[in-house]
Amino acid sequence: MNKAALIAWREIRWEIYGDRAAVIRTLFFAALPVLFVLSERNSLPSTRSDLTMIALAFQSALFPALSGVALIASTFTQEKENGTLLPLLAAPVRDMDIVVGKLLGMIGPVMAISAASLAIFYVLGRLVYGPERIERSLPPEILYAILIVAFLYLVTAGSWALIIAARVRTTRAAQQLVGLLIGLSVGVYIGFGFVAARVGTGWPLLALGPFLLALDVIALEIARRVWQRGEVIGRL
Amino acid sequence: MIDVRDISRSFERVVALDRVSFRVEPGEIVALLGPNGAGKTTTSRIVAGILAPSSGDVFVDGISVTGDADAVRERCGMVTDQPSLYERMTLRAYLGFFCRLYDVASPEHRVAELAELLGLSDRLDTRLGAFSRGMKQKVAIARALVHDPQVLLLDEPSAALDPETARSLRAFIVSLRARHRAIVLCTHDLDEAQRIADRVVVLYRGRVAREGVVGALRADARPRFVVSFSGDAALARTALERVGVTPEAADANGHAALRFETSDETTTNPAVLRALLDAGLAVITLAREERTLEDAYFAIVAEARGE
Repeated sequence: MNKAALIAWREIRWEIYGDRAAVIRTLFFAALPVLFVLSERNSLPSTRSDLTMIALAFQSALFPALSGVALIASTFTQEKENGTLLPLLAAPVRDMDIVVGKLLGMIGPVMAISAASLAIFYVLGRLVYGPERIERSLPPEILYAILIVAFLYLVTAGSWALIIAARVRTTRAAQQLVGLLIGLSVGVYIGFGFVAARVGTGWPLLALGPFLLALDVIALEIARRVWQRGEVIGRL
Repeated sequence: MIDVRDISRSFERVVALDRVSFRVEPGEIVALLGPNGAGKTTTSRIVAGILAPSSGDVFVDGISVTGDADAVRERCGMVTDQPSLYERMTLRAYLGFFCRLYDVASPEHRVAELAELLGLSDRLDTRLGAFSRGMKQKVAIARALVHDPQVLLLDEPSAALDPETARSLRAFIVSLRARHRAIVLCTHDLDEAQRIADRVVVLYRGRVAREGVVGALRADARPRFVVSFSGDAALARTALERVGVTPEAADANGHAALRFETSDETTTNPAVLRALLDAGLAVITLAREERTLEDAYFAIVAEARGE
C-alpha cells in the first residue's frame, strides 16, 4: 500500500499540480457553483425548490467529478502512448498498487475540488437564498451523502475509464469513449433527478448510492483484470 | 545468472517466441540480434519479469520468473529504446521516486551517486522535459541502476543517440561488465554488438537461429577474398565466372578489384589467379577479407530463411 501511496503522490505533485492546463480546469470547476447560484437566484422556497437546492449542491460536487473521469482515462492512455508505464511495470510493484495508486492520485484531488466546490456553493447559497433555507435544505447528512455519491461515482466511472484506457491505443480514442461514458452518467443523473422531482422527495437520489456501489464492485474487478501486467504489456 | 529455459510466448494466435534457451553469466554481455519481430523485446520482457512466458521458465540468480516475478524484478534493471520519462519531474524527484519504488535504503544518497556517475550532477533540479535526447537516455540508464541490479536488460539503448553519446554509453555498458553484471543487449546495431558483446544469440521468427561467441561466429562465416589487378574489369569478371566464382565489385587502394567468397580456398584461389593471368591481366594482390559480425549475421539469417 505504501507504493500505491507513492504512485498517488507522484500523480498529484507532478502530473496534476505540475500541469497548468489541469490547474486552469480546476479553477473553472471551482467557479461553477458561483454560476449555479447566480442563475437560480430567483428560485422561491417550496418543497420543489428545496429539491432545487439539493440538485444545485449535487451539481457543484458532481461537475468536478465528471472532469476527473476524463483525467483518469487520459493519464493512463498517455502513460501507454509515452511508454512511461513500462518502467513502472518493470519495478517490484504489485499490479493492484499501480491501479490503486493512479486512481487515488486522480480521485484525491478531484474529490478535494468537489468538496471545495460544494463548500463555495454552501457559503454563496447562504448569502443569496438566506441561511435558513440553505440549512433546512442541506443539513450535514445531505452534504455528506452528496460527497459520498460523488466519490462513488468517481470510483465507478474512473474504473470504467481504466477499462477503456486498457483496451484502446490512443488518448484520443479513450477521450471519445469516456465522453460517451460521461454523457451516459449525466443521463442517469437527469433520470434520477427527474424521478425525484416528480415524487417530490429525495429517495431516488439516495438510491444512487447502492446503485453506484454495485457498479463499483463490478468495474474495479474488471479494471483489476485488464490491468494485469501481462495483459497491459501485450498491448504496448 | 540468467538461465532462459525453453521459453515460448504467444499473443493470441501469433507465436512470438518458440522454445528459446540461452544463458548469461555474471560479467558477460550477450547480444540478442534478429530482424524486427524476431522476439528480442519479448524475450527481454520475459527475463525482466514483466511478461509471463506461455511455457518454459527463466531463472535470474536462481529465482524462477514464473514462481516469484517480484523477486526477479528486484534483481533486474531495464532500459528501453525510448527513455520513457515523466517529463514534468525534475531529475532528483524522478530518480528518488524510482529509488523508493525499489526500496533503496538511502534514496537521496543514491540519486546523488547516480547523477555523479552519469555526469548529471549539475542538472538534478532541472525538469526532464528540458533534457536532450542523449541526457534522457542517461536518465533512463540511471533509473535502471537505482537498485544496483545484478542483471541489466538493454533494449536498443543507443537508438537515436549521436555517435559521441552512443560511444560513451557503450563504454559505460562495458564498465558494468567489469562490475560482474549480467547484461542482455537487444540491438539492431551489429557494429555495436561486435564491439561490446561477448556472445551473440540470433533470433529469427521467435527461434534461436544461432548462438555463439562473437569471434567464433565471425570465423564461421564463409571466407571472402579480394583480388586486385590492373586491366579491364569486365574481362576479369568473365575470367572469374569461367572458373565458377561469382565476383562482386570491390575497391583496393584505387586499383580495380573483385570480391569473391569460397569455401575451398586451396582450389579456388589458384584457379582465380590462373584465370586472371590467362586473360592477360596483371594481378597486384589477393587478400583474405576479415569477416564482420554483420557478414555472419546475414549468413545466419539467410540460412534461417532457407535461402
